[in-house]
Amino acid sequence: MFYDRPVYRPLGDLFVDVEFGDELHLALNFMALGLDLSLRERPIAGVTETVPSNRALMVAYDSAIVRQAALIDALREREAEATKLRRLPSRVVTIPIWYDDPWSDECAQAHGVPNNLALLAEINRTSVAEVIAAHSRTEWWVTAVGFQPGCFQALPLDPAFAISAPKYARPRQTTPERVLCLAGKITSFYPVRSPGGYQLLGRTPIDLYDPHQRNEVFRESPVLPMAGERHRYIPIDERAYVAIREQVERGDYRYQIEAGSYSLDDYLERSRPMTMEATP
Amino acid sequence: MIEVLNGGPQTTVQDLGRPGYLNTGMPPSGAFDSFSLRVGNLLVGNNPGGRYLVGRDPGDAGLEILLFGCRLRVTADHVLAVTGGDLSATLNGEPLPLWRAVLVGAGDTIAFGAPRHGVRAYLAIAGGVEVPKFLGSRATNVRAAVGGIDGRALRTGDRIELGSPRRPLTTLADRTWPTAARPIQDAPWTVRVVLGPQDVLFTPESVQTFLSVDWKLSPISDRMGCRYIGPKLEFRPRPDYLIEQAGSDPSNIVDDGTPLGAIQVPSGLEPIVMGADVPSFGGYAKVATVISSDIGVVGQGKPGDIVRFRAVNVAEAEEIALAIEATLTEATIISEK
Repeated sequence: MFYDRPVYRPLGDLFVDVEFGDELHLALNFMALGLDLSLRERPIAGVTETVPSNRALMVAYDSAIVRQAALIDALREREAEATKLRRLPSRVVTIPIWYDDPWSDECAQAHGVPNNLALLAEINRTSVAEVIAAHSRTEWWVTAVGFQPGCFQALPLDPAFAISAPKYARPRQTTPERVLCLAGKITSFYPVRSPGGYQLLGRTPIDLYDPHQRNEVFRESPVLPMAGERHRYIPIDERAYVAIREQVERGDYRYQIEAGSYSLDDYLERSRPMTMEATP
Repeated sequence: MIEVLNGGPQTTVQDLGRPGYLNTGMPPSGAFDSFSLRVGNLLVGNNPGGRYLVGRDPGDAGLEILLFGCRLRVTADHVLAVTGGDLSATLNGEPLPLWRAVLVGAGDTIAFGAPRHGVRAYLAIAGGVEVPKFLGSRATNVRAAVGGIDGRALRTGDRIELGSPRRPLTTLADRTWPTAARPIQDAPWTVRVVLGPQDVLFTPESVQTFLSVDWKLSPISDRMGCRYIGPKLEFRPRPDYLIEQAGSDPSNIVDDGTPLGAIQVPSGLEPIVMGADVPSFGGYAKVATVISSDIGVVGQGKPGDIVRFRAVNVAEAEEIALAIEATLTEATIISEK
């Protein structure tokens, strides 16, 4: 559901949530990111940080500077402009993935479940090769970054992407680091070894979180992914994985990042249901 | 220098943490009971830092000591203050006064024993604990393995460097935080909350239950979150699209911001108050959020302790926080020389 107007919900006396709807939809994420952009370009005094999520923007504030009631008034004045943004700056990050890698397979086996890609192929009545092709064919839109440093959620931008994944019935105790995963139609990522319940797709040789900030892309922040960027996942084989991992560990891997922007209207146009052929 | 003779279950270097990175998934960390650390720092002439989470000055770092077992030895003359939970702290085997700056000398041993009140003590020392900063803060996050000493809890044999005291040690000794200005509660603890953001997803009866029953702190509690055992809370029916998008459990929502203090109730069982090392995101309905002034009360709970949640509104929560903030000054300190 899209709300007629954003709903303001308090999270105690340090945060307020600006909620645009309760469902998962790119248009709601666009509103959250639009308001986020507006607050970065023209800050409201007392706002100390903002956290976009799929369908809301969480705003942290210092009540010594602005009370929540006054902050909500100030945010209301931004609603219209923030929610009217149809195009957002959006870089494209290319991420090599060794789909169906041996670590993910071993992890599934250790948990007593079948190879996750084989399971997805079966559930979606297709082949492992087609699951990989479909997943790497579409661009992905990062709606939010959270859970842990460098973990993100991403939605497919290609409306034809039809693969759907159930969550694990019983979550894993652990997952290898740098593994890409899927639940529903959301792609996510395990930056470090952690428990989890998403289906494992493959492993990337590149770091998306580096607390040592070795590579220049981590100079400003140890976390690479940011909400509102797009990802392209490129299937690679074992040889490429090993070669890239060596570059990453030496600190001279060149991350592939292109500046750009993305139009919500293009997406909505593409997502419109196809007109059915008239049947006699 | 401080030598660690025994790290105990979890002693970590903490300041007021690294807010400002929530949108990257980096938890703020910092002292769970930030008030106590800030008072300790004031007593020993250190920088107490700004307000937790919304300030941008992490202040000087001290040690957060959990439960019993931690033993430390100082290698030179220092002034230190132990605040927060009463863990039967001793100096060379004699009871160490809490909330008071104490002069110690080379070879003196500080030990922590049975928890009498609360579970987290804070040790502030003139000059502060010197470890490298990560993203502007010295706070340890054991789970993310950042901050403090190699991102981990202290262990036997660690040697902790200290900064230079800002004032002569003799002028600091015996400075005390008056009893009336200490946030001491007796069990059962009262934790004040603001209802929301998703109290409307629970049945009204369950919201009342949440606010009226005695909750028992579960042993499965740490700096990530504190869990409370009590009756099951029920949810209102949800539309089909949310069952499909958010998940089949009635507590599932499409993930949104879930900060420190937010109270998730997965499956309606065991409300979890998010702690200092939480990330910023979650997929469970949050019935209420602990007010900033009572985060430290949550952090002082001992497994088995009874806690009651009491609702206040946002304006009240803001007033409470600002009133406490106003007391955190040099002027509150009394000298008991």
